[in-house]
Amino acid sequence: MAQVILKDVVKNYGDVYAVNHVSLTVEDGEFVALVGPSGCGKTTTLNLVAGLIPMSGGSISIGDRDVTDLDPKDRDIAMVFQNYALYPQKSVYKNLAFPLQMRKLPKDEIDKRVQAAAKTLDIVHLLERKPRELSGGQQQRVALGRALVREPRAFLMDEPLSNLDAKLRVQMRSEIKRFHQDLNATIIYVTHDQLEAVTMSDKMAVMNGGFLQQYDSPANVFANPVNMFVASFVGSPAMSLVPLTAASKDGKVVLQSPEGWEMPLSDANGRKALRAKSSKVVLGGRHSTIKVHKSSVPGAVPGKVYTVEPTGDVTFAQVFVSGAVVNVSVAPTFQLRPDEPVFVEFDQERLHLFDGETEMALKLA
Amino acid sequence: MTAMEMSAGAAKRRGAGGWRWSGRIFLVLLLGFTVMPMIWMFITSLKTGFAAMQYPPQWWPAEPTLENYWRLVDPSGTVGRDFIQYFWNSIWVSTLTTILAVVVAVPAAYAFSRFRFPGRSFLFFAVLLRNMFPAVVFLVPLFILMKALGLVNTHGSLILTYLTFGLPLAIWLLKGFYDNIPVQLEQAARIDGATRFQAFFLIVMPLSTPGIIATSIYSFIGAWNEYIYAYTFLTRHDQMTLPVGIQRFFSENATDWPGLMAATFMMSIPVVVLFLVLQRYFVRALTEGAVKH
Repeated sequence: MAQVILKDVVKNYGDVYAVNHVSLTVEDGEFVALVGPSGCGKTTTLNLVAGLIPMSGGSISIGDRDVTDLDPKDRDIAMVFQNYALYPQKSVYKNLAFPLQMRKLPKDEIDKRVQAAAKTLDIVHLLERKPRELSGGQQQRVALGRALVREPRAFLMDEPLSNLDAKLRVQMRSEIKRFHQDLNATIIYVTHDQLEAVTMSDKMAVMNGGFLQQYDSPANVFANPVNMFVASFVGSPAMSLVPLTAASKDGKVVLQSPEGWEMPLSDANGRKALRAKSSKVVLGGRHSTIKVHKSSVPGAVPGKVYTVEPTGDVTFAQVFVSGAVVNVSVAPTFQLRPDEPVFVEFDQERLHLFDGETEMALKLA
Repeated sequence: MTAMEMSAGAAKRRGAGGWRWSGRIFLVLLLGFTVMPMIWMFITSLKTGFAAMQYPPQWWPAEPTLENYWRLVDPSGTVGRDFIQYFWNSIWVSTLTTILAVVVAVPAAYAFSRFRFPGRSFLFFAVLLRNMFPAVVFLVPLFILMKALGLVNTHGSLILTYLTFGLPLAIWLLKGFYDNIPVQLEQAARIDGATRFQAFFLIVMPLSTPGIIATSIYSFIGAWNEYIYAYTFLTRHDQMTLPVGIQRFFSENATDWPGLMAATFMMSIPVVVLFLVLQRYFVRALTEGAVKH
């Protein structure tokens, strides 16, 4: 296994930048998830690492080798595709053997490795079948097998679970995680599902519009999103964002709504709010850090219940606050009705503030 | 269900049944229209020259004979010698046309399907342009061209000409097949250690075999049946292909109908055999694109 380094990687089609100056380092044995909405450039980035499309600029190295100008076959990587890309005319055995045949390994060595990989993935009984005779989950295993049979320097995975049904997806998710731990494999994993990224990866690279937005551990991305995009993309339900105006009042900083209410900020939060380029500040909070009250308490702001979604052990609700939707969660015993007026209280320690102009997170110096 | 709904349903069924029956009758008529000439061709080929001209016609010859066929395949007679020569000429021209068309069309179709290059759609359109005009439009220009090249009265003139319409069709058909093969298969192969050429040759080509076979059949039949160019470009008897050669059964005084029919029947045999042997692939090829996703 090896380290993968992307340096200032660019891919543009004329004026359209699919990947815009992305730099990141995947450490040896690390599981990195490239995550973002459709068209954010994550798959293009993966294809650039694989060498399947030519780069417009920058460099990529795998291990201690610069692979920028190498063919895919010379990069010593393995890839798992979204549609598995199993060779339809070949049996499972021959699918697994193909990468080894291409590397001209002796026949008995090929057989040994194919059998070992098949055993690891529990597909020994499928070796003589054709891919079309397999279920989606079995095809997925064969695709994984074809990747690991060669012991490559890095694994690239392009949405490998998105064609599976929900139950199988959860199961394969843990299997891929296990696979990563057992092999201590370097894995770059593309997904549009932030939950997959959060649950599986050591680090997640959040992309949007071809730009790398944030590259950090899921916990850090979750706790300290760098901008409003990352804040609203990671987490389920998403972080709620309420656009407000910052003002100084009696030596304290408050957030004002167009409706006329005010929410006082703690000293630290007040200093952050004043660092915004203008008075426009966006208040952010995750459902678990927001309390809901039936009557007014100091620091809470008024809102109106929009929908109530009981899930059994927790009830989610959407509350309109100053025209924005705020996701909250309450105990299932706490009764809420649609259109009921309530008061929501943001936890001063865990709320987020964003610059209304730049959409960047506001931080203390 | 109320009585009214029931009778409405019955009427509907009756209506559907009526349609089904008229559909069947139409199909039977169509079948007769298609098959009858072939049956009549075969029956006539078994008659003597005298029996063929009788009126009212004999629906089945009183004295069926294979004499007409023996005459065609007997190399000691003039008719047989000529016929065998035409037959081989046709086989040679059609086979060579087919091989050349496929050998050129496979990489061309692959390139049109996979690569994005400047002028791609214009070129693809230009390739098809030739097939948008009736063949006869090009007859005189091509004849002049062939004459200038010194190819008149050679099989080369025919093969080149047949390629001008066979090749575009082959490229167009094959491109459809390559479009349906997921590009990820080649990408997987290239990551698995194959060069671009190996990925094409080891993975994509075998998957397009049904397409290649279907294309070959089209191309072979096109060349096999072609008449007007062969008639124009070839004047020497030993060069003629079957469609032109068979014409010699017409003469100024009397047409040898049974002989002509026997020759026509013989001419259809290679195409039928080719089709029967390869139809498994052919049918698969025609349905393939519909279900792949």
